[in-house]
Amino acid sequence: MTEPAAIDDTTEGAAGAATRRLTDLACGFCGLGCDDLEVAVTGRAVRPRTACPEAAVLLRRGPGPPPGPRVEGREVPLAQAVSAAARHLAASRAAVFSGLGTDVDGLRGLADLAVRFGASLDHAGSEGLFRNLDTLQRTGWIAATLAELRTRCDVLVVIGADPRRAYGRFFERAVPPEALFTDDRTMVFLGSGPEAATRDQLAGHRLIEVPVVPGFLGEALAGLEAFLRGRGAAEFAGALDGALGADLAELAELLRAARYAVFVWDAADLPAPQAEEVVHRAAAIVAQLNRAGRAAVFPLGGRDNVVGANQVMLWRFGHPLRTLVDGRASRHAPDLYATAVALRDADLLLHADSFRPRPPPAFSAGPVIALAHPATEFAREPEVFIPVGTPGVDHAGTVFRMDGIVCLPLEKLRDAGLPRLADVAAAIRAEDGA
Amino acid sequence: MRVRVTNGRVFDPASGWVDAARDVLIADGRIVADDLPQPGETVYDAAGGVVMAGGIDLHSHIAGGKVNLGRLLMSEDRRAHPEPFGDFCGCGGGRALPTAHATGCLYSQMGYTAVFEPAMLGANARHAHLEMADIPNIDTGGYLVLGNDDAFLQLLAQGEGQDALNDYVAWMIKATQSCAVKLVNPGGISAFKFNGRSLDLDEEGPYYGLTPRRILGALQQAVTELGLPHPIHLHGCNLGVPGNIDTTLATIAAAEGFALHLAHVQFHAYGQEGDRRFSSGAAALAAAVNAHPHVSVDVGQVMFGQTVTASADLMAQYRNHRHASPGKWAGMDIECDAACGVVPFRYRDTSFVHGLQWAIGLELFLLIDDPWRVFLTTDHPNGAPFTTYPHLIRLLMDKPFRDAHLARLGPAVRAHTGLGEIRREYTLEEIAIVTRAAPARALGLADRGHLAPGGVGDLVVYAEDSDREAMFAAPRLVLKNGREVVRDGAIVALQAGSTFAAAPPCDPQMDARMARWFDEAIGLKAKHFRIADHEIRGGRGPIRLECRP
Ligand code: SF4
Ligand SMILES: [Zn+2]
Repeated sequence: MTEPAAIDDTTEGAAGAATRRLTDLACGFCGLGCDDLEVAVTGRAVRPRTACPEAAVLLRRGPGPPPGPRVEGREVPLAQAVSAAARHLAASRAAVFSGLGTDVDGLRGLADLAVRFGASLDHAGSEGLFRNLDTLQRTGWIAATLAELRTRCDVLVVIGADPRRAYGRFFERAVPPEALFTDDRTMVFLGSGPEAATRDQLAGHRLIEVPVVPGFLGEALAGLEAFLRGRGAAEFAGALDGALGADLAELAELLRAARYAVFVWDAADLPAPQAEEVVHRAAAIVAQLNRAGRAAVFPLGGRDNVVGANQVMLWRFGHPLRTLVDGRASRHAPDLYATAVALRDADLLLHADSFRPRPPPAFSAGPVIALAHPATEFAREPEVFIPVGTPGVDHAGTVFRMDGIVCLPLEKLRDAGLPRLADVAAAIRAEDGA
Repeated sequence: MRVRVTNGRVFDPASGWVDAARDVLIADGRIVADDLPQPGETVYDAAGGVVMAGGIDLHSHIAGGKVNLGRLLMSEDRRAHPEPFGDFCGCGGGRALPTAHATGCLYSQMGYTAVFEPAMLGANARHAHLEMADIPNIDTGGYLVLGNDDAFLQLLAQGEGQDALNDYVAWMIKATQSCAVKLVNPGGISAFKFNGRSLDLDEEGPYYGLTPRRILGALQQAVTELGLPHPIHLHGCNLGVPGNIDTTLATIAAAEGFALHLAHVQFHAYGQEGDRRFSSGAAALAAAVNAHPHVSVDVGQVMFGQTVTASADLMAQYRNHRHASPGKWAGMDIECDAACGVVPFRYRDTSFVHGLQWAIGLELFLLIDDPWRVFLTTDHPNGAPFTTYPHLIRLLMDKPFRDAHLARLGPAVRAHTGLGEIRREYTLEEIAIVTRAAPARALGLADRGHLAPGGVGDLVVYAEDSDREAMFAAPRLVLKNGREVVRDGAIVALQAGSTFAAAPPCDPQMDARMARWFDEAIGLKAKHFRIADHEIRGGRGPIRLECRP
């Protein structure tokens, strides 16, 4: 994923260019919204100084110039690539917009493009979001934002795998040792348990592990809900007779006594056949706990501003992602407009991704327009490639944190001449005769 | 560019012109003194029409987290109301929670030119502003929700002086680009996070031990001393609870000496009389408002049909969620700031409670004497979508129409309301007051809500029609900043609106204090919480409201 020319640890990048140290930067990569990052910038080169491994890789830039726009593999001026993109879009009858990894302005630009040319829209990281929406849209839930978790949570239940791998600084941010409203916290891992580094990090807290194999999470949560409703293990036909049943019964007691229990999971990482069931059970348990006490869900997710993409879709079109915008009407059908499905009937793919060099999904039934990270490596050369800047590196921008409430301002770190995705989209839309 | 609106009957109560035959002249977007006609000016013949300033809604939930959460949860609303517009839109729909675009179009099609989001949470303010920037044809502003934020409650509980409280409020208003302070269920939203299920005016809340009365008093003093144009905009304790009229009356009494705005009072005017333990407190509340000239209200009228309730008051929404229709709801505790609860709701004319709520709202409109202190709202979408305003206007202006609607309700409702005996009908002048002149004055919008020279060129021509609902549903002409946006009820142009914000001065020491608070408690940098001017309305920045300490 690292840009080939990016490894550069000398102090001087371009000859004579001074090095600037930038602090307290907000991060838009995984959705956790850390905002204490630090980088050193020399000319075009960006060297991360304080960042998690994921952010370090994605922030790093070399001193060399980024590639220019290409049409059919040939380098062309930006204006020419914009015209070519507009021509392809104008000729298309079933366009798919994928990726959607960009800031709010970029998303607005893509929405405008969809209104002008017609397209279905989905984000590359929306799988987990839709697993959560299955519950949120059908029954709803009670959720908490990050600061509520930080200040109040006395029992944290992690469902599934340790979130550390996907959200590097989750525990550091969510359960710091000192909290406003609670003196002690209990961390419960219901699933595959904490990694060693997590165990170290949580040393100050009480740790409870309830091992559950991934395929059994739904049943385990059903059992926990039954205990909380005062029903016994009997109705589970023996499935909860052993250690798991005892653990869950104990957990139910712990939760009943909790002042503010929070349930977290990463829906994208839950085993596919029962992911929705797990989310549904967790929300139901929280609903049950709120009858007499307080509890909330905190669904993990939000990589590459997928939460922001969904928010923009909602206020622009009144629908979540996976929506077709066709002329003056828009239609939401998650089964039809998920990228992989929509591509089956598509005649054009516009892949927009400004956060990471993620190649577009495989597509051969029509032209591919890539408004993409400059380091993107393509399996086949797109008809149009316009390298765009990364929000928080090449230009300022706004992204949503995973809780959907806090939006963060990303800063411009350098000027490498890369355009904003928003400006490219606006230029395509404004193209004459398209 | 000069625009002349001629031959109309002008209703501009703020300027003392009532049913006045006069021209309104607009040059470069602003109203100027009338002058001889000039060649090249655009002339609109308003013959047979009623001319008013653009409508102003000072309490309507149009943007931000809870609205978008509502759009997500209540996909039924969007499906039932697809894109209704012509060539200018490709992205509209919804009724209880229309898209940003549809919100602007639907409001401007009724002759509104400014709408205020009354519950913007600090943590979510950037989002609310992003949405507002995408609402065309209307100006906007947000009221900052305070009084359940842990930073403030901590200062107050620690016995910090009023100066420190004022500095905090000033810092927060500026940081969030807000134009007023909203107080929602004082201390109650915080109490619910500590599992408190109710909190009355003089009850001490959990953890901080503060009463709502104390929180209200401190914030009223802050807003007054900072010189914010709008007083505390209060959503009081016990929303929706039968018997809450006593709390509401006590709240009015508690506000002695300070200006106070009571939001959606219909939801706070319930008695407990009669065999159903639910009765109208409208007469008592109206009498109290009549007797307290420093108190203003908006009504929050209920209309029958499907809507969604969206509020920062999770304590109240948790109570209500068992009435959700369809049966789903979502709540959220938010960032040591406040909360939100979204509950879909269907008001049924066959329900005694809903029928009486409808009657209570109208009683309040009709029993409060001074139209300058009552504003026309449905607390959109909580009482009904704002698109019901023309119908509401007819209910106020047309007694036979009102009586016919009352007659459709069950005998129990009719037995519990004095609505049938009220003879009052609103005049066009009074409608002009409650829908534009009074809200403009209440918000300190010196150049809105009237048609005198210096005002912005926000103007509406309604075709005179004895069917007041038809008249107010589809104006013949709407000018925004002197330019035509609606013709014969249809959108003909889109224009970017502006956003109002205040920036009261604040002791620079507050910066360091807030930086520490955000670092330690919230886990976010204060500098990232703060919203820069260039983030408002796509870089154009806010219109600053003047503070007069
Ligand atoms: S944990 Fe996420 S938000 Fe924090 S620095 Fe890493 S990628 Fe950025
Ligand atoms: Zn309201």
